[in-house]
Amino acid sequence: MDNFDTPLSISEEDLKRFIEAIKTASTYDFSEYSEKSLMRRLEKVLSDNQMEISGFIDRLKQDTSFLEKTIKDITVNTTELFRDPTAWHMLKYNVLPLIAQNDEINIWHAGCSTGQEVYSMMIMLNEMGLLNKTNIYASDLNSDVIETAKKGVYKYRFNLLYLDNFDKVLKENPHDPGNKAEVSYSKYFDINKVKDTISMNSFLQKKPLYKKHDLVTEPNPFPGVAYDLILCRNVIIYFNYNLQNKVFSLFFNNIKINGALLLGMHESMLGPISSRFEKKGQLYIKSKKLNP
Amino acid sequence: MTNKAVIIGGSAGSFQVVIRILSQIPKSFPYPLFLCLHRLKHVREGFVEALSIKSNITILEPNDKDRIKPGIAYLAPSNYHLLIEPEFHFALSSGEPINHSRPSIDLSFASAAYAYRNNLTGIILSGANKDGALGLKAVADFEGTTIVQDPNDCQIRTMTESAIKTARVDHVLSTDQIIAFLAKMTG
Repeated sequence: MDNFDTPLSISEEDLKRFIEAIKTASTYDFSEYSEKSLMRRLEKVLSDNQMEISGFIDRLKQDTSFLEKTIKDITVNTTELFRDPTAWHMLKYNVLPLIAQNDEINIWHAGCSTGQEVYSMMIMLNEMGLLNKTNIYASDLNSDVIETAKKGVYKYRFNLLYLDNFDKVLKENPHDPGNKAEVSYSKYFDINKVKDTISMNSFLQKKPLYKKHDLVTEPNPFPGVAYDLILCRNVIIYFNYNLQNKVFSLFFNNIKINGALLLGMHESMLGPISSRFEKKGQLYIKSKKLNP
Repeated sequence: MTNKAVIIGGSAGSFQVVIRILSQIPKSFPYPLFLCLHRLKHVREGFVEALSIKSNITILEPNDKDRIKPGIAYLAPSNYHLLIEPEFHFALSSGEPINHSRPSIDLSFASAAYAYRNNLTGIILSGANKDGALGLKAVADFEGTTIVQDPNDCQIRTMTESAIKTARVDHVLSTDQIIAFLAKMTG
């Protein structure tokens, strides 16, 4: 974490060689990834491996397991429990009530990373009495993070900061500031300060269906499922416009009418498909009006 | 020259300094101004509003891939790294914190230095850690202009002293002198 000491040690040329090497040796193509972010990640991988770019690229070409590990390191994403409380408040008060009456609710976490968003959603659904009739689907490009998500065990010390978010989202009501709900942590997870862990309770661990999935190249990872809500937060920031459009089309084709897509706090949808969605803040609704 | 930009990094003790700079920057400031500030938890939201009250120029928290426009102050959004792409648009990242910081001043400065080269002015303000030192070094390495708030003028001097130790610093200035510098850039 603190080994960042050479802000720009690789050149654009190096980055191109890296992308080419990955493309040749695997099914992954990073050529349309956001350049600066990819560069930053590559620098981190180099520094973690204590390697220099030329030797690194040579090894990628020769060593398949090293290649796989590198791809995993490059595609890993960080997240926290109830990241961005305002987005969760919006889900709780403005979005979920719209689909609460449905007999069955399908939610897809696209790019679920290590699963904190998935658990946050399940906790909120349970508090709203909606968890039983909801199917939770989650996918990520990186199979390692999916394994972490399935286990649902996180570092306590790091997540301690985010218990504040838990309180804010579940106990406070921005529309009724005086009214505070009582929600206990132990209903949902065990905190072990000695082991430094937060472990999600097993009824939450067992609930989601996970699948390894590439948003850019693959169709709906859960064939036949139409979604009431898709969450894809802080994933498309790593893609260029072209890739973003592919991903948005995939979402559009698999969201129900009146279903919604939630992007990250500072992401927005541009391009042709955006005209088919009604935008409400960070939320994109596939409205009947626009899709008769 | 239309391609210039200014980037300011600050942490503990920099809030009032930034407010003063924004309240006195010329309305016609002709370049983009990037603000990469560490935030205390309780000001994660409403920071733009707080800064906007006194600012002479528009303040925005950019979205990913927004194009950079002159005359606007762009504030790095809470909980993201703010990167400047060589094609003069923003890229956000939710990659892990660096030196416990997200946004990381080092990262924003380094990416801005790479995009703007010698047309960038980097300014490090008061702070209690060493974030920004390597970023300012990157600005210097690309022959940009480097400015550090005078440690004696800072509420907390760790960050500025660390920058002075690490990077080639062109000017060590008081808040008033920084304001004068920006006014002079406006012409």
